[in-house]
Amino acid sequence: MAPSARRRRVVVAAALAVSLALPPLLAPDWQSLYVFVGLYAIVTCGLSLLMGFAGQVSLGQAAFYAIGAYAAAIPAVHGVPSVLGLFTGPVVAAAIAAAIGVPLLRLRGHYLAFGTLAFQLIVLTFIAEAGDLTGGDIGLRGIPPLGIGGVEAVTPLAYAYVTWIAVAAVFLVTGNLVRSRPGRALRALATSESAAAAAGVPVAAYKVRVFALSAAYAGLAGAIYAFFLSYIAPGSFPILLSIQFLVMAAVGGLGAVWGSLVGAAVVTLLVQLLQEIGSLPGMPTQIPAVLSYAVYALVLIVVMLLLPSGIVPALTARAARRRRDDVAPTEATAGDDARASRLSSVL
Amino acid sequence: MSLFLQYLAAGIATGSTFALVATGFVVIYRVTGVINFAQGVFAVLGGFLAYSLLHAGVAHGLAEGLAVAVTAAIGLAFGLVALGRRGTPPLASLIVTLGLAIFSYAVVITIWGDNPISYEGLSGLLAVGGVSMQRQYVLIVAAAVATFLALALFFGRTYLGMALTACSSDQRAARLMGIDVWRMGLLAFAVGGALGGLAGVLLTPLQPVEFDSDVGIAVNGFAAAIFGGLVRPATAFAGGLVLGVAEAMVAGYFRSSYETAIALAVMLGLMLWQASRRGPTEE
Amino acid sequence: MREGSEPLLEIHDLVVRYGVATALDGVDISVRRAEMVALVGPNGAGKTTLLDTVSGLVAAAAGRIQLRGRLAQVPEGRRLFPEMTVEDNLRLGAWRVRDRRVDPVYELFPHLAELRRRKAGSLSCGEQQMVAVGRALMGQPDLLAVDELSLGLAPQVVDMLAAHLQDLNRRSGMAILLVEQNARLALDICSRAYVIEAGRIALTGPSEQLRRSPEVQAAYLGGAYEE
Repeated sequence: MAPSARRRRVVVAAALAVSLALPPLLAPDWQSLYVFVGLYAIVTCGLSLLMGFAGQVSLGQAAFYAIGAYAAAIPAVHGVPSVLGLFTGPVVAAAIAAAIGVPLLRLRGHYLAFGTLAFQLIVLTFIAEAGDLTGGDIGLRGIPPLGIGGVEAVTPLAYAYVTWIAVAAVFLVTGNLVRSRPGRALRALATSESAAAAAGVPVAAYKVRVFALSAAYAGLAGAIYAFFLSYIAPGSFPILLSIQFLVMAAVGGLGAVWGSLVGAAVVTLLVQLLQEIGSLPGMPTQIPAVLSYAVYALVLIVVMLLLPSGIVPALTARAARRRRDDVAPTEATAGDDARASRLSSVL
Repeated sequence: MSLFLQYLAAGIATGSTFALVATGFVVIYRVTGVINFAQGVFAVLGGFLAYSLLHAGVAHGLAEGLAVAVTAAIGLAFGLVALGRRGTPPLASLIVTLGLAIFSYAVVITIWGDNPISYEGLSGLLAVGGVSMQRQYVLIVAAAVATFLALALFFGRTYLGMALTACSSDQRAARLMGIDVWRMGLLAFAVGGALGGLAGVLLTPLQPVEFDSDVGIAVNGFAAAIFGGLVRPATAFAGGLVLGVAEAMVAGYFRSSYETAIALAVMLGLMLWQASRRGPTEE
Repeated sequence: MREGSEPLLEIHDLVVRYGVATALDGVDISVRRAEMVALVGPNGAGKTTLLDTVSGLVAAAAGRIQLRGRLAQVPEGRRLFPEMTVEDNLRLGAWRVRDRRVDPVYELFPHLAELRRRKAGSLSCGEQQMVAVGRALMGQPDLLAVDELSLGLAPQVVDMLAAHLQDLNRRSGMAILLVEQNARLALDICSRAYVIEAGRIALTGPSEQLRRSPEVQAAYLGGAYEE
């Protein structure tokens, strides 16, 4: 146990060092991309936690991303110090999630998937119609940059740091949660709700808390997004974005904390790369769209058919198999296999 | 009052197309356990194919029929990819159907471009008891009801249909009889493709479609299908009608920008009410 | 019985694994034509896994299975299609063969003819087991594998069904593999038996001999066997 904990600490420290050392070395375009990878990783981490550990599906995670963005931007537009948005974004998103979670999480499986999808469409309609508050369909312009006491974040580089410090914080919280006592209870929840209930886990309360936590992550990412772009509109948060988060979580691997980073990075970079190729000079006008849709779709299909449990679980399973050749099979790896196979039946 | 009846007629007509899409969701889910998020794509492709055939001079009726036949074949092809190797888990298959939907965007833009299309359906009005309604509405409802009855006969009375029902009822038992559940899944995808395509050829004269119209169609179809727990075709069909009528009423009496949100809120409310009465809805 | 003719079912050194767990570990079993063979053992010993492997539902990790004829299985828990009628359930049993006439089954179980239009889910357990046996027979098997015939049924119903199976075996020469937790019943109606424990064949021999074995008596017959 001790060597693996130490190894984990070394890996985490190395990842942190690389992620914080990287931004200044990147061109500004790539710094923006780096910001988006981080934001999506934060949202996906919450979704992965919700699906992988609490066994609940959300097809409306972009709703909390939107709520966080508006909850941070609206006060800032009205003169409230913008740094407070990093607080109001996640808190409002979590509070709304906790409130709707109580009735909504009574639904299970596909019903919950539908409920979250419906919730997002309702939120988007509300934002579009509450024009006085949100700017309506046209959107909210002139959101001030993130700042504290005269120091303002205006460059992509600054936002890269803000984002990746947030990523580190989110991963730290998630990693500790997963290894804690409640984390083990959550894992029991994902495998069998009735068994968890029989073991004395307060199932309903835990589900609502994880739902609220995943919403808080999405809200935090949404808040940074609003300050970074200084303009948000309902169109920035389509259903396709929620689906994209689901794809990132599935590609990376559900229930694997690092999977959310891998999934977010792979999908975001792929989309960007395709756009760059498509907009090379000499390409016909429709080529960017066609190429990016086609290649994105093909990669998605091939990855899911070849690695149905996601990239990170597939890699760790391979590593575990290699280790198993040396030592006797451990209960942990067998349990992980069982979990991975059950996760795939969440939906 | 007559305004109410006109909204009702419009609602039942669009609701019927939701019902067809919803039935496609149910047929595929029952047999394969996969929620086919590419279900809306069949409707979009059906609309575009019929549009092209009509422009090529193919007669009404034949053009739509051919389009539906092609979407059935596309459904089969989608099934072939989505079901993957035998034993691919449903969540992976679901993501694959999303991938197929996105892939279809590339295909549609390449062939037809990214502008919305539409074509003339049945023109003219039909007066029923003082209410005049578009003939296309009557056609849609009649086609949807006829299709639903034909499906009920197929699943309940034919040997092949019974084998499909067996697969959705108890896969293990079906496999022990020697029924190839994987092939039955492909067949279900073909049926789902035909149902989606039919919804598309009927809907396109009412509201233009473009390459990504599938999201809205799929959301409405999924909402209707979930009403019946994704397994009861009759409830899904009724759910489609309820949703269509609710949206038409909201759009007519209130504001059209609220139609989807309020209709979905109503569905969600009903579902939560069911869950609180029966205890959490078990899968 | 023709000595020297090839067995209907031959299983040699069969190994089946689920993930890292080994469900069957070097199992040898054979069933000759027109024979009634029992496979007894406690819950989780691998009985159903064995049937599923022979039926092709589960892949073998190693070993050889040779089946020289058609197999039909009456699954544990009957597993009828509850929302379909009795007759439709029976007809689906003939998926692999061309002949879908259900009359032979009604001749065997006249009671089912009266229930032909009833939904299978509305029948009593005993009636359901009749349908399940009838559905398997529709596949015109050379070997009928019955998984837990007696589970959850009243003793009179079990006796009636057992008598039917013996009758089928005698009259049509259909081989029967009876998989049972109820060893007393299995040893009573079968001529030969295998005892399976933890994925291995622990004992095998004629029923007479097994019935007298102290291990079998202690573990499966609840003390001394009474005639």
